[in-house]
Amino acid sequence: MLEHKLENGASVLYLSGVWRLANLAAISDSLRALDLKGSREFLLDGSRLDALDTAAGFTLFRHLNLLGCTEAMVSVRDFKPRHARLLKLVHERMKCPPAAARSMHLGLVQRVGASAIGVWRQLKSHNAFVGAVALEVFDLIPRPRRFRLRETVSQFESVGLDAVPIVALVTFLIGVVFAYLLGQQALRYGANIFVVDGVGLAVCRELSPLLAAVVVAGRSGAAFTAQIGTMKVQEEIDAISTLGLSPLQVLVIPRLIAIMVALPLLVFVGDVAGIAGGMLVAAWQLDIAPQSFLDRLHDVLPLRSLLVGLGKAPVFAAFIAVIACRMGMLVARDARSVGVNTTSTVVQSIVWVIVLDAVFAVAFQRLGI
Amino acid sequence: MDRVLEVDSIVTRFGAEKIHDGISFGVARGEVVALIGGSGTGKSVLLKEIIGLLRPAQGRIRLLGTDVWRATPAELNALRRRFGMLFQDGALFSSLTVAENIAVPFRENTDLPMDIISPLAGFKLALVGLPPDAGRKTPAQLSGGMRKRAALARALALEPEILFLDEPTSGLDPVGARAFDSLVRLLADSLGLTVFIVTHDLDTLLSVIDRAIVLSAGKVIADGPVAAVMKAEDPWIREYFSARSPLALSGAGS
Repeated sequence: MLEHKLENGASVLYLSGVWRLANLAAISDSLRALDLKGSREFLLDGSRLDALDTAAGFTLFRHLNLLGCTEAMVSVRDFKPRHARLLKLVHERMKCPPAAARSMHLGLVQRVGASAIGVWRQLKSHNAFVGAVALEVFDLIPRPRRFRLRETVSQFESVGLDAVPIVALVTFLIGVVFAYLLGQQALRYGANIFVVDGVGLAVCRELSPLLAAVVVAGRSGAAFTAQIGTMKVQEEIDAISTLGLSPLQVLVIPRLIAIMVALPLLVFVGDVAGIAGGMLVAAWQLDIAPQSFLDRLHDVLPLRSLLVGLGKAPVFAAFIAVIACRMGMLVARDARSVGVNTTSTVVQSIVWVIVLDAVFAVAFQRLGI
Repeated sequence: MDRVLEVDSIVTRFGAEKIHDGISFGVARGEVVALIGGSGTGKSVLLKEIIGLLRPAQGRIRLLGTDVWRATPAELNALRRRFGMLFQDGALFSSLTVAENIAVPFRENTDLPMDIISPLAGFKLALVGLPPDAGRKTPAQLSGGMRKRAALARALALEPEILFLDEPTSGLDPVGARAFDSLVRLLADSLGLTVFIVTHDLDTLLSVIDRAIVLSAGKVIADGPVAAVMKAEDPWIREYFSARSPLALSGAGS
């Protein structure tokens, strides 16, 4: 690779063989093994060089620089014309000073402070978004013509209608599981019939609203974020603004209204499916005929339970929609961002739904509902 | 003459539509060749077929001695290390910084340690004329021209023998476009690179190109030095070269 000779007081470096990227490790080693201290002049001899590329040329010059050589101390001889041209280009480009490495290490206090400020700013901008959406909704009341019915109905189809099979299936199965669980306990006391009370209450008040909201958050929340996020990356939202339309009116409001109408309806579907599941288990395992089940249900399930479940739904829906649309608007211009934000939407929505459910539970208990 | 690229009787179909109907040409080592043609004539499609991304219906492509569509996966991977491709908008990895982008070919294809790769990546940045602090930025933070240069640096990472460029000057301002052309010519001359450019840009054609291949209606209608192609009888070629004032044309084909 490299041979060092002293000729006429100057250090001559004979480069030989294949000086290419593939051999860079060997080249670096040969350079490091050289003892060039005390030499004032360097002559690079390329007569034995078979091949040369920019990586090898750069490595050579860099090593010479690190030894303290200046331009005046280095000269070349006997290089083939194409190798000489390459060396000239490499040398020229290396004249740029290297970038100063910035220290990225922040202390603990700095990190905590920076995070706190970041979170505060995020909260402020989330708040501003919610406010802007609310303003747009109120703006629709005196000007109902601005409402985009077609978009809303289209969103309703994907959020509501397309979700019916999944919500029905999931709540049906939960109804089955719950009835089975309760039934095992009730059998011990010969109180089979109380399964009807339990299933009716649990499904209508808690299980159906919660499950429907989780399914919608996963399906539609993620979809909203991905759709709006991709539009943001492709500058479609800017295009909407430029045409004099409000992106909130065009994108967010239809989704918000659609989901707030769809979720209560899906909760109702869930109620029916969940109770049907309970009825199935009651008939097969607990000797309660369907007609008896329905008679008892009619007696013990207050309308209030059903309405509580249906009433929670629009609140869940509003949270899901606002979170999903907001995360969509926040998508950045890199490939990871859509995925990261979509995941965040689903997680945030589910957490908020459960928190709200807990708040409702306590509130209703206090209010005696 | 050492032919680095041989395209032989390529036929391409999209559904019932025939995009290419018997395309044949060759590129010799060290040439800077341009592929031109109207929109929709399948130039970018042909480029993708040459580098192994899209399969033609019929025909053969020999790149650096390897038959692209009859090679084994291992042979194709070895071939991929010998050419560089610049996609139309750079196609940089958006989640990585520029320096990390340039380091990717080194990290994936060599065993070199990071303390050799980092300065080498920095050198590639300098090679394409980017300032050193560009390495720290992500592609979204760069202008279009800088993105293309960064992508060029990545394409040059493994010291390729042939460089493919897909509309490199599209979206660049005239000064930036001419600077990019000069850079490509300098690299070709200094490094002995063969360059294959798909382009619309008349100014590129008239300044740094050795030979032009013209695609029209699925066939090659002209193939030769730019000055000769300019004199061809075909109406599209006439119109293409006259879309420019006579003043600019007088310095052409040098």
